[in-house]
Amino acid sequence: MTDVSSTPGEPDAAAGTGIDTTVSHSARIWDYWLGGKDNYQVDREVGDRIEEMLPDIVRQAREDRLFLGRVVRYLAGEAGIRQFLDIGTGLPTADNTHQVAQRVAPECKIVYVDNDPLVLAHARALLTSTPEGVTDYLHADMHDPGSIIAGAGRTLDFGRPIAITMLGVLWHVMDNDEANAIVDRLVQAMPSGSYLALNHPTLEVTGEKMATAIQYWNQYGKPPGTHRTPDELIRFFDGMDLVEPGVVSITRWRPEATSSGEPEEIDQFGGVGRKP
Amino acid sequence: MSTDQRDGGRIADVQGPTVPRMLVGIQLHRFREAAGITPDQAAYEIRASRSKISRMENGLVRFKERDVTDLLTLYGITDEPTRSGLVTLTRQANTPGWWSKYGDIMADWFESYLGLEMAASVIRTFELQFVHGLFQTEDYARAVTLLGHTSAPADEIDRRVSLRLKRQDLLTGAAPPQVWSVIDEGALRRPVGGPAVMRAQLDRLVEVARLRHVTIQVVPFSRGGHAAAGGSFTVLRFGEPEVPDVVYLEQLTSALYLDKREDVDHYMEVMNHLSTEALTPAQSARFVTEMIRDT
Repeated sequence: MTDVSSTPGEPDAAAGTGIDTTVSHSARIWDYWLGGKDNYQVDREVGDRIEEMLPDIVRQAREDRLFLGRVVRYLAGEAGIRQFLDIGTGLPTADNTHQVAQRVAPECKIVYVDNDPLVLAHARALLTSTPEGVTDYLHADMHDPGSIIAGAGRTLDFGRPIAITMLGVLWHVMDNDEANAIVDRLVQAMPSGSYLALNHPTLEVTGEKMATAIQYWNQYGKPPGTHRTPDELIRFFDGMDLVEPGVVSITRWRPEATSSGEPEEIDQFGGVGRKP
Repeated sequence: MSTDQRDGGRIADVQGPTVPRMLVGIQLHRFREAAGITPDQAAYEIRASRSKISRMENGLVRFKERDVTDLLTLYGITDEPTRSGLVTLTRQANTPGWWSKYGDIMADWFESYLGLEMAASVIRTFELQFVHGLFQTEDYARAVTLLGHTSAPADEIDRRVSLRLKRQDLLTGAAPPQVWSVIDEGALRRPVGGPAVMRAQLDRLVEVARLRHVTIQVVPFSRGGHAAAGGSFTVLRFGEPEVPDVVYLEQLTSALYLDKREDVDHYMEVMNHLSTEALTPAQSARFVTEMIRDT
Protein backbone atom coordinates (compact mmCIF):
# COMPACT_ATOMS: atom_id res chain seq x y z
CA MET A 1 0.00 0.00 0.00
CA THR A 2 2.76 2.35 -0.93
CA ASP A 3 0.66 4.06 -3.55
CA VAL A 4 -0.94 7.37 -2.84
CA SER A 5 -4.28 6.62 -4.41
CA SER A 6 -5.74 6.98 -0.95
CA THR A 7 -6.89 10.42 -2.02
CA PRO A 8 -10.63 10.67 -1.46
CA GLY A 9 -12.56 10.60 -4.65
CA GLU A 10 -10.31 8.02 -6.24
CA PRO A 11 -12.22 6.64 -9.18
CA ASP A 12 -13.26 3.17 -8.21
CA ALA A 13 -11.51 1.10 -10.80
CA ALA A 14 -11.85 -2.07 -8.84
CA ALA A 15 -15.55 -2.52 -9.19
CA GLY A 16 -15.07 -5.73 -10.98
CA THR A 17 -15.81 -5.54 -14.65
CA GLY A 18 -13.70 -5.65 -17.67
CA ILE A 19 -11.49 -8.73 -17.90
CA ASP A 20 -12.65 -10.56 -20.94
CA THR A 21 -10.84 -13.82 -21.48
CA THR A 22 -12.82 -14.70 -24.58
CA VAL A 23 -11.43 -11.80 -26.62
CA SER A 24 -7.71 -11.31 -26.95
CA HIS A 25 -6.68 -8.05 -25.43
CA SER A 26 -3.91 -5.62 -26.32
CA ALA A 27 -1.93 -5.67 -23.06
CA ARG A 28 -2.01 -9.48 -22.88
CA ILE A 29 -0.97 -9.97 -26.52
CA TRP A 30 1.99 -7.64 -26.02
CA ASP A 31 2.84 -9.55 -22.87
CA TYR A 32 2.87 -12.74 -24.94
CA TRP A 33 5.16 -11.28 -27.60
CA LEU A 34 7.46 -10.05 -24.87
CA GLY A 35 7.76 -13.56 -23.46
CA GLY A 36 5.62 -12.78 -20.41
CA LYS A 37 3.36 -15.21 -18.57
CA ASP A 38 0.28 -12.99 -18.16
CA ASN A 39 -1.63 -14.06 -21.23
CA TYR A 40 -4.40 -16.47 -22.05
CA GLN A 41 -4.92 -19.03 -24.81
CA VAL A 42 -6.98 -16.60 -26.88
CA ASP A 43 -4.16 -14.03 -26.75
CA ARG A 44 -1.52 -16.59 -27.71
CA GLU A 45 -3.59 -17.69 -30.70
CA VAL A 46 -4.03 -14.18 -32.03
CA GLY A 47 -0.40 -13.39 -31.18
CA ASP A 48 0.85 -16.42 -33.13
CA ARG A 49 -1.36 -15.67 -36.09
CA ILE A 50 -0.11 -12.09 -36.29
CA GLU A 51 3.46 -13.29 -35.96
CA GLU A 52 2.91 -15.52 -38.99
CA MET A 53 1.77 -12.51 -41.00
CA LEU A 54 4.37 -10.16 -39.57
CA PRO A 55 7.37 -12.10 -38.23
CA ASP A 56 8.93 -8.80 -37.17
CA ILE A 57 6.28 -8.22 -34.49
CA VAL A 58 8.18 -9.88 -31.65
CA ARG A 59 11.18 -7.73 -32.40
CA GLN A 60 8.91 -4.67 -32.52
CA ALA A 61 7.51 -5.54 -29.11
CA ARG A 62 11.02 -5.87 -27.67
CA GLU A 63 12.27 -2.71 -29.37
CA ASP A 64 9.26 -0.85 -28.01
CA ARG A 65 10.40 -1.64 -24.46
CA LEU A 66 14.03 -0.78 -25.26
CA PHE A 67 12.83 2.54 -26.72
CA LEU A 68 10.92 3.18 -23.50
CA GLY A 69 14.13 2.55 -21.57
CA ARG A 70 16.24 4.92 -23.68
CA VAL A 71 13.56 7.63 -23.75
CA VAL A 72 12.94 7.58 -20.01
CA ARG A 73 16.68 7.50 -19.26
CA TYR A 74 17.11 10.53 -21.53
CA LEU A 75 14.18 12.36 -19.93
CA ALA A 76 15.21 11.67 -16.34
CA GLY A 77 18.91 12.11 -17.15
CA GLU A 78 19.84 14.72 -19.74
CA ALA A 79 16.45 16.49 -19.65
CA GLY A 80 16.23 16.45 -15.84
CA ILE A 81 12.53 15.49 -15.75
CA ARG A 82 11.20 14.27 -12.40
CA GLN A 83 7.49 13.84 -13.22
CA PHE A 84 6.11 11.28 -15.66
CA LEU A 85 2.64 10.67 -17.02
CA ASP A 86 2.70 7.18 -18.55
CA ILE A 87 -0.41 6.71 -20.68
CA GLY A 88 -1.02 3.12 -21.74
CA THR A 89 0.98 1.33 -19.09
CA GLY A 90 0.47 -2.26 -20.20
CA LEU A 91 1.19 -5.30 -18.07
CA PRO A 92 4.37 -5.07 -15.97
CA THR A 93 7.52 -6.34 -17.63
CA ALA A 94 11.24 -6.00 -16.90
CA ASP A 95 11.94 -2.25 -17.09
CA ASN A 96 8.85 -0.23 -16.42
CA THR A 97 8.81 3.57 -16.54
CA HIS A 98 9.19 4.16 -12.80
CA GLN A 99 12.01 1.66 -12.50
CA VAL A 100 14.01 3.29 -15.28
CA ALA A 101 13.27 6.82 -14.06
CA GLN A 102 13.89 6.10 -10.39
CA ARG A 103 17.19 4.40 -11.18
CA VAL A 104 18.30 7.77 -12.53
CA ALA A 105 16.59 9.80 -9.79
CA PRO A 106 14.80 7.93 -6.98
CA GLU A 107 12.54 10.92 -6.25
CA CYS A 108 10.75 10.70 -9.62
CA LYS A 109 6.95 10.73 -9.54
CA ILE A 110 5.13 8.54 -12.02
CA VAL A 111 1.42 8.37 -12.76
CA TYR A 112 0.46 5.22 -14.62
CA VAL A 113 -2.69 5.50 -16.72
CA ASP A 114 -4.56 2.64 -18.35
CA ASN A 115 -8.15 1.78 -19.14
CA ASP A 116 -7.70 -1.97 -18.60
CA PRO A 117 -8.65 -3.02 -15.04
CA LEU A 118 -6.27 -5.99 -15.23
CA VAL A 119 -3.38 -3.66 -16.01
CA LEU A 120 -4.38 -1.34 -13.17
CA ALA A 121 -4.53 -4.20 -10.64
CA HIS A 122 -1.06 -5.37 -11.71
CA ALA A 123 0.35 -1.86 -11.65
CA ARG A 124 -0.93 -1.17 -8.12
CA ALA A 125 0.58 -4.41 -6.86
CA LEU A 126 3.82 -4.63 -8.79
CA LEU A 127 4.79 -1.14 -10.01
CA THR A 128 5.53 0.32 -6.62
CA SER A 129 7.70 3.32 -5.96
CA THR A 130 11.00 3.87 -4.22
CA PRO A 131 10.50 5.39 -0.75
CA GLU A 132 11.81 8.72 -2.12
CA GLY A 133 9.44 8.87 -5.09
CA VAL A 134 5.78 8.28 -5.80
CA THR A 135 3.79 6.06 -8.11
CA ASP A 136 0.08 6.57 -8.61
CA TYR A 137 -2.41 4.70 -10.75
CA LEU A 138 -5.22 6.15 -12.77
CA HIS A 139 -8.05 4.26 -14.37
CA ALA A 140 -8.84 6.51 -17.29
CA ASP A 141 -9.28 6.41 -21.02
CA MET A 142 -7.06 8.33 -23.37
CA HIS A 143 -10.16 9.35 -25.33
CA ASP A 144 -10.95 11.51 -22.30
CA PRO A 145 -7.76 13.55 -21.76
CA GLY A 146 -9.59 15.86 -19.34
CA SER A 147 -10.00 13.06 -16.83
CA ILE A 148 -6.33 12.12 -17.20
CA ILE A 149 -5.25 15.69 -16.47
CA ALA A 150 -7.61 15.93 -13.49
CA GLY A 151 -6.50 12.56 -12.09
CA ALA A 152 -2.79 13.19 -12.62
CA GLY A 153 -3.17 16.44 -10.68
CA ARG A 154 -3.48 14.38 -7.49
CA THR A 155 0.19 13.50 -7.76
CA LEU A 156 1.93 15.70 -10.32
CA ASP A 157 2.73 19.38 -9.94
CA PHE A 158 1.57 21.08 -13.14
CA GLY A 159 3.79 24.04 -12.29
CA ARG A 160 6.86 21.93 -13.09
CA PRO A 161 7.84 20.11 -16.28
CA ILE A 162 6.19 16.77 -16.92
CA ALA A 163 7.03 14.09 -19.48
CA ILE A 164 4.03 12.47 -21.15
CA THR A 165 4.81 9.06 -22.59
CA MET A 166 2.34 7.53 -25.05
CA LEU A 167 4.21 4.46 -26.19
CA GLY A 168 2.29 2.15 -28.45
CA VAL A 169 -1.09 3.64 -27.53
CA LEU A 170 -2.01 6.43 -29.95
CA TRP A 171 -2.51 3.86 -32.68
CA HIS A 172 -5.69 2.89 -30.82
CA VAL A 173 -7.19 6.28 -31.71
CA MET A 174 -8.46 5.64 -35.21
CA ASP A 175 -9.36 9.19 -36.18
CA ASN A 176 -6.52 11.59 -37.00
CA ASP A 177 -8.32 14.70 -35.78
CA GLU A 178 -9.24 13.06 -32.51
CA ALA A 179 -5.69 11.77 -32.00
CA ASN A 180 -4.29 15.27 -32.59
CA ALA A 181 -6.91 16.80 -30.30
CA ILE A 182 -6.00 14.37 -27.49
CA VAL A 183 -2.30 15.15 -27.74
CA ASP A 184 -2.96 18.92 -27.98
CA ARG A 185 -5.15 18.87 -24.90
CA LEU A 186 -2.56 16.97 -22.87
CA VAL A 187 0.38 19.10 -23.99
CA GLN A 188 -1.59 22.32 -23.40
CA ALA A 189 -2.08 21.36 -19.76
CA MET A 190 1.69 20.99 -19.25
CA PRO A 191 4.05 23.86 -18.44
CA SER A 192 6.91 25.01 -20.62
CA GLY A 193 9.86 22.60 -20.53
CA SER A 194 7.58 19.54 -20.58
CA TYR A 195 8.10 16.66 -22.98
CA LEU A 196 6.02 14.33 -25.12
CA ALA A 197 7.31 10.90 -26.21
CA LEU A 198 5.40 8.58 -28.50
CA ASN A 199 5.76 5.71 -30.91
CA HIS A 200 3.39 4.25 -33.42
CA PRO A 201 3.11 1.53 -36.10
CA THR A 202 3.87 2.62 -39.67
CA LEU A 203 4.00 0.96 -43.08
CA GLU A 204 7.50 2.27 -43.86
CA VAL A 205 9.37 -1.01 -43.57
CA THR A 206 7.04 -3.97 -43.86
CA GLY A 207 4.27 -2.25 -45.85
CA GLU A 208 1.39 -4.53 -46.71
CA LYS A 209 2.41 -7.09 -44.10
CA MET A 210 1.84 -4.56 -41.35
CA ALA A 211 -1.43 -3.41 -42.91
CA THR A 212 -2.70 -6.99 -43.09
CA ALA A 213 -1.60 -7.71 -39.52
CA ILE A 214 -3.47 -4.64 -38.26
CA GLN A 215 -6.56 -5.69 -40.18
CA TYR A 216 -6.38 -9.07 -38.51
CA TRP A 217 -5.84 -7.44 -35.11
CA ASN A 218 -8.94 -5.33 -35.65
CA GLN A 219 -10.97 -8.44 -36.36
CA TYR A 220 -9.83 -10.48 -33.34
CA GLY A 221 -8.06 -8.18 -30.92
CA LYS A 222 -9.19 -5.34 -28.72
CA PRO A 223 -9.09 -2.35 -28.89
CA PRO A 224 -8.74 -1.71 -32.64
CA GLY A 225 -5.80 0.22 -34.06
CA THR A 226 -4.41 1.89 -37.15
CA HIS A 227 -1.08 2.76 -38.77
CA ARG A 228 0.13 6.30 -39.53
CA THR A 229 2.86 7.87 -41.63
CA PRO A 230 5.96 9.47 -40.10
CA ASP A 231 4.62 12.85 -41.31
CA GLU A 232 1.43 12.28 -39.39
CA LEU A 233 3.51 11.46 -36.33
CA ILE A 234 5.53 14.67 -36.74
CA ARG A 235 2.25 16.60 -36.68
CA PHE A 236 1.64 15.36 -33.12
CA PHE A 237 4.65 17.47 -32.13
CA ASP A 238 3.29 20.71 -33.68
CA GLY A 239 4.40 23.66 -31.58
CA MET A 240 7.12 21.60 -29.90
CA ASP A 241 10.85 21.26 -30.55
CA LEU A 242 11.71 17.77 -31.72
CA VAL A 243 14.64 16.30 -29.85
CA GLU A 244 17.38 14.92 -32.15
CA PRO A 245 17.14 12.74 -34.24
CA GLY A 246 13.44 13.60 -34.70
CA VAL A 247 10.79 11.05 -35.67
CA VAL A 248 12.62 7.90 -36.77
CA SER A 249 12.37 4.14 -36.54
CA ILE A 250 12.58 3.62 -32.78
CA THR A 251 15.64 1.42 -33.24
CA ARG A 252 17.45 4.53 -34.50
CA TRP A 253 16.36 6.86 -31.73
CA ARG A 254 19.56 7.40 -29.78
CA PRO A 255 20.62 3.73 -29.97
CA GLU A 256 23.23 2.33 -27.62
CA ALA A 257 26.61 2.24 -29.29
CA THR A 258 27.09 -1.05 -31.13
CA SER A 259 29.85 -2.45 -33.26
CA SER A 260 27.49 -3.36 -36.08
CA GLY A 261 26.70 0.14 -37.34
CA GLU A 262 23.26 1.68 -37.66
CA PRO A 263 20.43 -0.55 -36.38
CA GLU A 264 17.90 -1.88 -38.89
CA GLU A 265 14.67 0.03 -39.21
CA ILE A 266 11.44 -1.45 -37.92
CA ASP A 267 7.83 -0.42 -38.42
CA GLN A 268 7.55 1.40 -35.13
CA PHE A 269 8.43 5.06 -35.52
CA GLY A 270 8.65 7.51 -32.69
CA GLY A 271 10.20 10.60 -31.24
CA VAL A 272 10.42 13.00 -28.34
CA GLY A 273 9.40 16.67 -28.35
CA ARG A 274 9.97 19.50 -25.88
CA LYS A 275 7.38 22.17 -25.21
CA PRO A 276 9.14 25.52 -25.51
CA MET B 1 25.48 -23.53 -20.82
CA SER B 2 27.95 -21.46 -18.85
CA THR B 3 25.35 -18.83 -18.06
CA ASP B 4 22.96 -21.54 -16.88
CA GLN B 5 25.64 -22.72 -14.50
CA ARG B 6 26.13 -19.27 -13.11
CA ASP B 7 22.42 -18.63 -12.74
CA GLY B 8 21.96 -22.09 -11.30
CA GLY B 9 24.64 -21.34 -8.74
CA ARG B 10 22.93 -18.15 -7.67
CA ILE B 11 19.61 -19.90 -7.40
CA ALA B 12 20.93 -22.76 -5.31
CA ASP B 13 22.90 -20.53 -2.96
CA VAL B 14 20.04 -18.27 -2.19
CA GLN B 15 16.94 -20.26 -2.65
CA GLY B 16 17.35 -23.99 -2.14
CA PRO B 17 16.97 -26.86 -4.55
CA THR B 18 13.53 -26.37 -6.02
CA VAL B 19 14.17 -24.25 -9.04
CA PRO B 20 17.34 -26.10 -10.12
CA ARG B 21 15.26 -29.27 -9.85
CA MET B 22 12.59 -27.80 -12.09
CA LEU B 23 15.18 -26.55 -14.56
CA VAL B 24 16.84 -29.96 -14.79
CA GLY B 25 13.39 -31.51 -15.29
CA ILE B 26 12.36 -29.05 -17.98
CA GLN B 27 15.58 -29.59 -19.91
CA LEU B 28 15.38 -33.37 -19.66
CA HIS B 29 11.84 -33.18 -20.98
CA ARG B 30 12.89 -30.91 -23.83
CA PHE B 31 15.83 -33.13 -24.85
CA ARG B 32 13.72 -36.30 -24.69
CA GLU B 33 11.00 -34.83 -26.89
CA ALA B 34 13.55 -33.51 -29.36
CA ALA B 35 15.12 -36.96 -29.61
CA GLY B 36 11.69 -38.55 -30.19
CA ILE B 37 12.10 -40.93 -27.25
CA THR B 38 9.07 -42.12 -25.27
CA PRO B 39 8.93 -42.01 -21.45
CA ASP B 40 8.92 -45.83 -21.49
CA GLN B 41 12.14 -46.01 -23.48
CA ALA B 42 13.76 -43.47 -21.16
CA ALA B 43 12.57 -45.40 -18.11
CA TYR B 44 14.02 -48.63 -19.49
CA GLU B 45 17.40 -46.97 -19.97
CA ILE B 46 17.72 -46.06 -16.29
CA ARG B 47 15.88 -49.13 -14.96
CA ALA B 48 13.04 -47.02 -13.61
CA SER B 49 9.33 -46.65 -14.11
CA ARG B 50 7.58 -44.43 -16.60
CA SER B 51 6.15 -42.41 -13.71
CA LYS B 52 9.66 -41.83 -12.34
CA ILE B 53 10.57 -40.18 -15.65
CA SER B 54 7.49 -38.02 -15.38
CA ARG B 55 8.32 -37.04 -11.78
CA MET B 56 11.88 -36.22 -12.81
CA GLU B 57 10.71 -34.07 -15.69
CA ASN B 58 8.31 -32.25 -13.38
CA GLY B 59 11.14 -31.54 -10.96
CA LEU B 60 9.45 -33.39 -8.12
CA VAL B 61 12.24 -35.78 -7.13
CA ARG B 62 15.92 -35.80 -6.35
CA PHE B 63 18.10 -36.86 -9.27
CA LYS B 64 20.88 -39.40 -9.39
CA GLU B 65 23.73 -37.88 -11.34
CA ARG B 66 24.21 -41.18 -13.14
CA ASP B 67 20.56 -41.21 -14.27
CA VAL B 68 20.90 -37.72 -15.70
CA THR B 69 24.08 -38.53 -17.65
CA ASP B 70 22.63 -41.83 -18.93
CA LEU B 71 19.52 -40.04 -20.14
CA LEU B 72 21.57 -37.34 -21.84
CA THR B 73 23.52 -40.04 -23.69
CA LEU B 74 20.27 -41.71 -24.73
CA TYR B 75 18.96 -38.37 -25.98
CA GLY B 76 22.10 -37.87 -28.07
CA ILE B 77 23.38 -34.92 -26.05
CA THR B 78 27.13 -35.26 -26.44
CA ASP B 79 28.06 -31.60 -26.21
CA GLU B 80 30.31 -31.44 -23.14
CA PRO B 81 29.38 -27.96 -21.83
CA THR B 82 25.69 -28.84 -22.01
CA ARG B 83 26.25 -32.10 -20.18
CA SER B 84 28.41 -30.65 -17.44
CA GLY B 85 26.05 -27.72 -17.05
CA LEU B 86 23.17 -30.03 -16.39
CA VAL B 87 25.26 -32.10 -13.99
CA THR B 88 26.10 -28.97 -12.01
CA LEU B 89 22.42 -28.08 -11.87
CA THR B 90 21.68 -31.62 -10.73
CA ARG B 91 24.10 -31.26 -7.82
CA GLN B 92 22.45 -27.99 -6.84
CA ALA B 93 19.07 -29.66 -7.14
CA ASN B 94 20.18 -32.17 -4.51
CA THR B 95 21.38 -29.64 -1.96
CA PRO B 96 18.90 -29.44 0.92
CA GLY B 97 17.20 -26.14 1.76
CA TRP B 98 17.26 -24.50 5.20
CA TRP B 99 13.93 -26.08 6.01
CA SER B 100 15.25 -29.64 5.82
CA LYS B 101 15.86 -29.69 9.59
CA TYR B 102 12.11 -29.43 10.11
CA GLY B 103 11.62 -32.60 8.06
CA ASP B 104 10.13 -34.56 10.97
CA ILE B 105 7.18 -32.20 11.40
CA MET B 106 6.70 -31.40 7.78
CA ALA B 107 4.98 -33.42 5.13
CA ASP B 108 6.94 -33.82 1.90
CA TRP B 109 4.38 -31.80 0.01
CA PHE B 110 4.83 -28.85 2.31
CA GLU B 111 8.60 -29.10 2.03
CA SER B 112 8.23 -28.79 -1.75
CA TYR B 113 6.02 -25.76 -1.24
CA LEU B 114 8.61 -24.01 0.91
CA GLY B 115 11.18 -24.58 -1.80
CA LEU B 116 8.93 -23.03 -4.39
CA GLU B 117 8.02 -20.13 -2.14
CA MET B 118 11.71 -19.38 -1.53
CA ALA B 119 12.42 -19.46 -5.23
CA ALA B 120 9.44 -17.45 -6.46
CA SER B 121 9.69 -13.92 -7.80
CA VAL B 122 5.96 -13.23 -7.39
CA ILE B 123 3.66 -15.00 -4.94
CA ARG B 124 -0.05 -14.38 -5.49
CA THR B 125 -2.44 -15.77 -2.92
CA PHE B 126 -6.14 -15.83 -2.28
CA GLU B 127 -7.03 -16.48 1.36
CA LEU B 128 -10.56 -17.35 2.34
CA GLN B 129 -10.14 -18.55 5.91
CA PHE B 130 -6.90 -17.38 7.50
CA VAL B 131 -4.38 -14.62 7.14
CA HIS B 132 -1.53 -15.88 4.94
CA GLY B 133 1.33 -17.64 6.76
CA LEU B 134 3.84 -15.03 5.62
CA PHE B 135 1.91 -12.30 7.44
CA GLN B 136 0.96 -14.10 10.66
CA THR B 137 1.95 -12.86 14.11
CA GLU B 138 3.42 -15.44 16.46
CA ASP B 139 0.20 -15.61 18.53
CA TYR B 140 -2.01 -15.95 15.49
CA ALA B 141 0.30 -18.63 14.03
CA ARG B 142 0.13 -20.49 17.33
CA ALA B 143 -3.67 -20.33 17.38
CA VAL B 144 -3.89 -21.60 13.79
CA THR B 145 -1.39 -24.38 14.54
CA LEU B 146 -3.36 -25.46 17.62
CA LEU B 147 -6.51 -25.66 15.51
CA GLY B 148 -4.83 -28.16 13.22
CA HIS B 149 -2.88 -30.19 15.81
CA THR B 150 -5.10 -30.46 18.85
CA SER B 151 -3.22 -33.39 20.38
CA ALA B 152 0.36 -32.40 19.56
CA PRO B 153 2.83 -31.92 22.46
CA ALA B 154 3.81 -28.37 23.36
CA ASP B 155 7.34 -28.60 21.97
CA GLU B 156 6.04 -29.77 18.60
CA ILE B 157 3.66 -26.81 18.50
CA ASP B 158 6.61 -24.54 19.30
CA ARG B 159 8.63 -25.96 16.44
CA ARG B 160 5.73 -25.64 14.03
CA VAL B 161 5.27 -22.02 15.01
CA SER B 162 8.99 -21.36 14.72
CA LEU B 163 9.02 -22.89 11.23
CA ARG B 164 6.21 -20.58 10.22
CA LEU B 165 7.99 -17.53 11.58
CA LYS B 166 11.28 -18.56 10.00
CA ARG B 167 9.48 -18.66 6.67
CA GLN B 168 8.75 -14.96 7.08
CA ASP B 169 12.46 -14.16 6.75
CA LEU B 170 11.62 -14.23 3.07
CA LEU B 171 9.93 -10.85 3.41
CA THR B 172 12.93 -9.14 4.96
CA GLY B 173 15.66 -10.78 2.88
CA ALA B 174 17.90 -9.00 0.40
CA ALA B 175 15.82 -9.81 -2.70
CA PRO B 176 12.31 -10.50 -1.44
CA PRO B 177 9.62 -11.74 -3.82
CA GLN B 178 6.58 -9.60 -4.56
CA VAL B 179 3.81 -10.98 -2.37
CA TRP B 180 0.36 -10.06 -3.66
CA SER B 181 -2.35 -11.33 -1.39
CA VAL B 182 -6.10 -11.09 -1.87
CA ILE B 183 -7.92 -11.83 1.34
CA ASP B 184 -11.59 -12.38 1.98
CA GLU B 185 -13.22 -10.22 4.64
CA GLY B 186 -14.25 -13.44 6.39
CA ALA B 187 -10.61 -14.26 7.16
CA LEU B 188 -10.25 -10.84 8.82
CA ARG B 189 -13.47 -11.13 10.85
CA ARG B 190 -12.81 -14.62 12.25
CA PRO B 191 -11.19 -13.97 15.66
CA VAL B 192 -8.58 -16.73 15.56
CA GLY B 193 -6.95 -16.86 19.01
CA GLY B 194 -9.46 -14.35 20.42
CA PRO B 195 -10.11 -10.65 19.83
CA ALA B 196 -6.78 -9.41 21.21
CA VAL B 197 -4.72 -11.78 19.05
CA MET B 198 -6.84 -10.88 16.05
CA ARG B 199 -6.47 -7.18 16.64
CA ALA B 200 -2.70 -7.49 16.80
CA GLN B 201 -2.87 -9.56 13.62
CA LEU B 202 -4.81 -6.80 11.85
CA ASP B 203 -2.19 -4.28 13.02
CA ARG B 204 0.47 -6.51 11.52
CA LEU B 205 -1.39 -6.64 8.22
CA VAL B 206 -1.51 -2.86 7.96
CA GLU B 207 2.18 -2.69 8.82
CA VAL B 208 3.31 -5.38 6.40
CA ALA B 209 1.22 -3.87 3.59
CA ARG B 210 3.42 -0.76 3.78
CA LEU B 211 6.35 -2.81 2.49
CA ARG B 212 7.05 -2.00 -1.11
CA HIS B 213 6.98 -5.63 -2.18
CA VAL B 214 3.79 -6.54 -0.32
CA THR B 215 0.30 -5.88 -1.63
CA ILE B 216 -2.85 -6.68 0.31
CA GLN B 217 -6.30 -6.42 -1.20
CA VAL B 218 -9.48 -7.16 0.73
CA VAL B 219 -12.58 -8.63 -0.88
CA PRO B 220 -15.35 -7.21 1.34
CA PHE B 221 -18.60 -9.05 2.00
CA SER B 222 -20.33 -6.35 -0.02
CA ARG B 223 -18.61 -7.73 -3.10
CA GLY B 224 -19.77 -11.24 -2.44
CA GLY B 225 -20.19 -14.07 -4.88
CA HIS B 226 -16.64 -13.68 -6.08
CA ALA B 227 -14.81 -15.82 -8.54
CA ALA B 228 -13.00 -18.27 -6.25
CA ALA B 229 -15.87 -20.47 -5.19
CA GLY B 230 -13.33 -23.25 -4.67
CA GLY B 231 -11.33 -21.75 -1.81
CA SER B 232 -7.83 -20.53 -1.04
CA PHE B 233 -5.01 -21.00 -3.53
CA THR B 234 -1.58 -19.68 -4.41
CA VAL B 235 0.07 -18.96 -7.74
CA LEU B 236 3.86 -18.87 -7.78
CA ARG B 237 5.80 -17.15 -10.51
CA PHE B 238 9.51 -17.61 -11.10
CA GLY B 239 11.97 -15.18 -12.64
CA GLU B 240 13.28 -17.73 -15.12
CA PRO B 241 11.30 -17.38 -18.37
CA GLU B 242 11.33 -21.13 -19.00
CA VAL B 243 9.87 -22.09 -15.62
CA PRO B 244 6.07 -22.07 -15.74
CA ASP B 245 3.80 -20.61 -13.08
CA VAL B 246 2.79 -23.15 -10.46
CA VAL B 247 -0.61 -23.27 -8.77
CA TYR B 248 -0.55 -24.61 -5.23
CA LEU B 249 -3.67 -25.97 -3.56
CA GLU B 250 -3.35 -27.14 0.02
CA GLN B 251 -5.61 -29.92 1.19
CA LEU B 252 -5.98 -31.60 4.57
CA THR B 253 -3.36 -34.28 4.12
CA SER B 254 -1.70 -33.37 0.87
CA ALA B 255 -1.26 -30.63 -1.66
CA LEU B 256 -1.79 -30.26 -5.35
CA TYR B 257 0.67 -28.60 -7.71
CA LEU B 258 -0.59 -27.61 -11.12
CA ASP B 259 1.71 -26.36 -13.83
CA LYS B 260 -0.11 -27.39 -17.01
CA ARG B 261 -0.84 -24.33 -19.03
CA GLU B 262 -4.65 -24.91 -19.14
CA ASP B 263 -4.84 -25.34 -15.36
CA VAL B 264 -2.61 -22.37 -14.64
CA ASP B 265 -4.58 -20.21 -17.09
CA HIS B 266 -7.79 -21.08 -15.33
CA TYR B 267 -6.52 -20.27 -11.84
CA MET B 268 -4.77 -17.16 -13.09
CA GLU B 269 -8.04 -16.00 -14.60
CA VAL B 270 -9.76 -16.45 -11.25
CA MET B 271 -6.93 -14.70 -9.43
CA ASN B 272 -7.11 -11.81 -11.87
CA HIS B 273 -10.85 -11.54 -11.37
CA LEU B 274 -10.36 -11.49 -7.61
CA SER B 275 -7.68 -8.80 -7.87
CA THR B 276 -9.89 -6.54 -9.94
CA GLU B 277 -12.97 -7.23 -7.81
CA ALA B 278 -11.21 -6.58 -4.52
CA LEU B 279 -10.67 -3.15 -2.97
CA THR B 280 -7.51 -1.44 -4.21
CA PRO B 281 -4.46 -1.69 -1.93
CA ALA B 282 -5.08 1.83 -0.61
CA GLN B 283 -8.78 1.18 -0.02
CA SER B 284 -7.88 -2.10 1.66
CA ALA B 285 -5.52 -0.36 4.09
CA ARG B 286 -8.32 2.01 5.05
CA PHE B 287 -10.72 -0.90 5.38
CA VAL B 288 -8.46 -2.81 7.79
CA THR B 289 -7.63 0.35 9.73
CA GLU B 290 -11.35 1.01 10.19
CA MET B 291 -11.88 -2.57 11.32
CA ILE B 292 -9.21 -2.08 13.99
CA ARG B 293 -10.79 1.19 15.10
CA ASP B 294 -14.21 -0.44 15.38
CA THR B 295 -13.06 -3.36 17.52
